[in-house]
Amino acid sequence: MLFFRSEEQVRGWCAAHNVPVRPLVRIDQLWTLATTWYSTRLKETSRRPKPDEMRGIFARLGLEGDFWDPTSDHFG
Amino acid sequence: MDFDTRVKLAIYNHFATTGLAPAPAEVATSMDAQVENVLESYQRLRAQRLLVLEADGASIRMAPPFSGVPTQHAVEANGVRYFANCAWDALGIPAALQKAATVHSRCAQSGEAFHLHVGTRGPEPSDWLFHCLVPAAKWWDDIVFT
Repeated sequence: MLFFRSEEQVRGWCAAHNVPVRPLVRIDQLWTLATTWYSTRLKETSRRPKPDEMRGIFARLGLEGDFWDPTSDHFG
Repeated sequence: MDFDTRVKLAIYNHFATTGLAPAPAEVATSMDAQVENVLESYQRLRAQRLLVLEADGASIRMAPPFSGVPTQHAVEANGVRYFANCAWDALGIPAALQKAATVHSRCAQSGEAFHLHVGTRGPEPSDWLFHCLVPAAKWWDDIVFT
């Protein structure tokens, strides 16, 4: 899970490592993911999202498809 | 509060205060417990994916979003320097602390420095991108690689 300056840099990195380009995530979308996962982590009642909750969280951000499905066996 | 929750909070509060992973003895002392009981709790917390341990079963590699070892993703908040496990966790640290912070990282391809101010309501506008190579279903197959 890495930062990149641009889509061109992502494509260059993936080509250099011979790996597929995955869906790109904007910084504002990443903030939503970070707060959803971690905003209660220092509290007694914190809990991690369960797989079905994860799907809903990703979908609300427009992150859909098998890649973002924590129960999928097909990743394209 | 159950014992494992107390151990979890002792670990996370230590990270939040110092930016560093606590030793088992520090956790035990902070909660007036035995080190052996703390180490047993570590295994249960690992099963809950709240900790990633080194091979010795006692050293904390990750207490997400905090990293117990230096990484390319540093975060500064309130004069404390933290390391994050990945780009996601770099934003996760200010989210967990609920404090303003600055993320220092780099473009994985070009090496260009990335500095992002994150307020308590979110990051400043940025056109940088996040890329995750590993599908969600596989993240915990090898969380260090992910």
